[in-house]
Amino acid sequence: MTTKTGQHPSADDPRVMLDDSAGLYESVPPYPPRTEREAEFYTLGEGEMFLNAGPHHPATHGVLRVVMKLDGERIVDLDPVLGYLHRGVEKLCENADLHQTIAYMDPLEYVSSLFCEWPAVMAYEKLLDVKVPPRAEYIRVLTGELNRISSHLLAMGFHALDLGGITPILYSFIERDEIVDLLASITGQRMLFNYFRIGGVNGDLNHDFMSRLGDWMSRAGSEVMSNTTLLNENEVFVRRNRGVGVMDRETALGMCWTGPNLRASGVPFDLRRAHPYSVYPELDFDIPTRSEGDSLARYLLRIDEVKQSLRIIDQCLHQMPDGPVTAKLPRLLRPRPGRAFAAVEGPRGEYGIYAISDGTDQPFRFRIHDPSFLHLQSFNVLAPGGLIADWMAINASLDPIMGGIDK
Amino acid sequence: MTSLGRTWGHLTLPGKIVFTVVPLLAVLGAGLVATIVLFGGAAWDLIQANLDFVRFLAAATITLVITIPVAFVIIYMELKVIAFMNLRVGPDRVGPAGAVQSVVHGLKVLVKEDFTPTGADPVVFTWAPVVTYGAAVMTLLVLPFAPGLYGQDFNIGLLYFFAVGGLGVVGLLMGGWSSFNKYSLLGGLRSAAQIVSYEIPLTLSVVGLLILAGTMSLNQIVQQQSGWFTDWFVFRQPLGFVIFFIAATAEGNRTPFDLSEADSEIVAGFATEYSGMRFGFFFFAEYVNVFILSALTVVLFLGGWNAPFPFPELSLALDPGSLGIPLLFLIALVPVIGTLVLAAPFYLLRSSMRWWVALIVGFVLFNVVAGGLTFAWAYVSFDWVAGLVWFMAKTFGFVFLFVWMRGTLPRVRIDQLMGFAWKWLLPAALLNLFATAAAVVVVGS
Amino acid sequence: MDRALRARLEARFGDVLTGPLRQRHDETELRIAPKDVPDVLRSLHDEPDLRFELLADLAGVDTGEHMQVVYHLWSETTSDWLRVIADGIPRDEPRVPSITFLWKGAEWLEREAYDMFGIVFEGNRDLRRIFMPPDYLSFPLRKDFLLPDDAARSPGEGARQMERANAPHATPAGSIRRTKA
Repeated sequence: MTTKTGQHPSADDPRVMLDDSAGLYESVPPYPPRTEREAEFYTLGEGEMFLNAGPHHPATHGVLRVVMKLDGERIVDLDPVLGYLHRGVEKLCENADLHQTIAYMDPLEYVSSLFCEWPAVMAYEKLLDVKVPPRAEYIRVLTGELNRISSHLLAMGFHALDLGGITPILYSFIERDEIVDLLASITGQRMLFNYFRIGGVNGDLNHDFMSRLGDWMSRAGSEVMSNTTLLNENEVFVRRNRGVGVMDRETALGMCWTGPNLRASGVPFDLRRAHPYSVYPELDFDIPTRSEGDSLARYLLRIDEVKQSLRIIDQCLHQMPDGPVTAKLPRLLRPRPGRAFAAVEGPRGEYGIYAISDGTDQPFRFRIHDPSFLHLQSFNVLAPGGLIADWMAINASLDPIMGGIDK
Repeated sequence: MTSLGRTWGHLTLPGKIVFTVVPLLAVLGAGLVATIVLFGGAAWDLIQANLDFVRFLAAATITLVITIPVAFVIIYMELKVIAFMNLRVGPDRVGPAGAVQSVVHGLKVLVKEDFTPTGADPVVFTWAPVVTYGAAVMTLLVLPFAPGLYGQDFNIGLLYFFAVGGLGVVGLLMGGWSSFNKYSLLGGLRSAAQIVSYEIPLTLSVVGLLILAGTMSLNQIVQQQSGWFTDWFVFRQPLGFVIFFIAATAEGNRTPFDLSEADSEIVAGFATEYSGMRFGFFFFAEYVNVFILSALTVVLFLGGWNAPFPFPELSLALDPGSLGIPLLFLIALVPVIGTLVLAAPFYLLRSSMRWWVALIVGFVLFNVVAGGLTFAWAYVSFDWVAGLVWFMAKTFGFVFLFVWMRGTLPRVRIDQLMGFAWKWLLPAALLNLFATAAAVVVVGS
Repeated sequence: MDRALRARLEARFGDVLTGPLRQRHDETELRIAPKDVPDVLRSLHDEPDLRFELLADLAGVDTGEHMQVVYHLWSETTSDWLRVIADGIPRDEPRVPSITFLWKGAEWLEREAYDMFGIVFEGNRDLRRIFMPPDYLSFPLRKDFLLPDDAARSPGEGARQMERANAPHATPAGSIRRTKA
């Protein structure tokens, strides 16, 4: 099919879908399968049907579309379809200067923005051979761990919401709101902080932040834990998650998992210890792991991580040195041609940036590596054989954020 | 422009209303009087001749109409109670503390577009909410709200209740199938599987109670529980009560068993494609069901309209009619005197209070006192008022329990749900039945 | 910088290297030909003194002259990131063997590289577009793909220049950004 101008039709051309009346109702794409896997997926067996969940399904954490092949309520196979939130951030970054690219990082994983900025500034610092002042490193760790707690709280709340519990999400938001307000008092934003700078951070800690943080830290541990009792001791919640979406160690490594999801499968891989960066070698904290590898383990591991993050914040506050918070840098940055890869341990796993410089003030290639992308991929491994309701538990426990997946 | 038109144009808005409504009322009133004079006798005879039928018609109409305020109250209660459990404020825009919110919801649903999707079966699609709502409302007919306050006193009331109540699932299945949507279909099938499974423990759990009561008439079951609260069946059938309540939660599609409309899994289940008032009917039916199941729990196990203790017999020898003409003076004077008496302390003791503010306070206080006294008088004098108060208090206690569960618990999975019904509830119900029957044989012989 | 790793790698892979083995900060860089990718990565993954178990990233790169596929690996035997660059892939017909036999999770990463650069990974059983619509014909991250608001090309040329199938080939050669890095 070609249009009047001889161009090939686009998918957002309504005629593509309207040509075939069956296309109105079927999840099957209106073109022949292009790969072996697609052909296999879009062939229905006896008694099977397709169910199209998304891109505006209530439990898909954004604009994810998943085509499920169902046998009754049992999932036979499923095919996530991405791209509904694709903004081409990598291309945008190739056309922006170094400082501008950091602002593009925030909306990637919008619930843990600082962890998207962090590898970007680290990669640039490697390209430019910049030494970050120690106070700036401590501030990065401090704000980063706060952001990790807020992200984990959100994940735990949404986990319950996806399973039909409407209250825990609001309890999670009490603490998350407090953290977000704290961060807003130094960054000026509640969500997209844009706080890290090449060679340091944008602005020192202020009195408002310190006094409120001290107040919050005195009750954070007990409040976070008391909020989780509604779920941890809830038989319905535990039974919905135990033994669901079990991932063993080898498969998890093969699926390139990282972060809490990998640690819940028994691999003690945490970049803060496995490939130390910033001031983490000077801090004392544990890497919690669990061996079950199911949804419940992934949920419980996040609670353990919140405890460790509180420990780290406490140490940061005690050990933080005085000094400048930014390195001295020229206003226009032109790194020498070269390549740099930097990765940090975020709330969902390894956030990586691979930057290539060609000597201009714009990155030549700016590769964003997002852990949710790889976690989402393993739906194919985890969900088949379970019920639709199990898929909700798996989806919630993997905690993907579509902003980062679709870039 | 005629002179009539000019006159009309000079009128203010209230004037226009008065000049329209007064003649209209005059004509209507005259017509009504004429009708009553001409046909009143014949109509009265007709009513007298078919009193049973008229009584049934009145009961059906009243039960149909009463569901709407009941559903409104429960919806508002759910919004507000869950809001407080979530540490939110909840609705607070419409009416005092948002009390009219659910009415506004109802109006909103009423004015929305009524949409039938392409590919749907229009007839089945349209009738599905009617069946669901009708089944819910019809069960109200046999519920004894208070002594003498019930639609019909069947001797197979409970059987009728389960039979008609189970009809609601047909509506859900119709809606699920006719919507031409896979989510709807899954929701409809889920609710069919769930309700058919839970119907069995629900029915079996009350069989033990029936053995004890020896009747299926809900009225007589309530009467048998009069006296102290220890006479309630919940103390003689504790296991049956627990099974009944769990199964009732599943029957009413309430959390944690609200799988047929699991919003995070199958969007809205059978109601996915419904909009406007058709969705409103499903929505109302759910809350009417909550009320009905709470009411049935109260009727069967918690003594229905009976107070938890025998109320001391108080008979007020109050016959207002015997006062004659002075009654009129009393009615005219008591509010004035009461208002003044109640306003006086405020005016005298608080120098900053203006006299008219004190009068308003006095008036409000008088209304409270008078209302309370009237209520107390009605409670003492009329059995059905006392019964209704206790019945509603207990019923809304259970409604609160349903709302509380919704605020607390996540949803179970479909296989866990079915497994629970067949592996736990059904054997427990059979055990309960067996134990009750054995006890009756042993104790009775 | 892990000097010992450098020595190990040079001893093991000296014969397949196509460029110098570079080290900077905490990164070690290995350049190989695309045809050697499966063998080298399998050795890196399996051999007991290397044990690069974790694929940290897989990226396509268009240097303006040829394509590259860049693998970042992590191992507990070293403190460095290992960067393996499959270098010198022709831009006209970029083909690389897939590594999904080692890391099943590389499937989507390769799909993304295919979507953005048109690099065909031989052996990937699900190589189709992942972000762009299925009937999209250009490869957005290639250096000859110019944004419609790019100063070099007037947006008045066509209503939807990004959708144009002939955009990459019509790009004037002088406007392609190149690097030797």
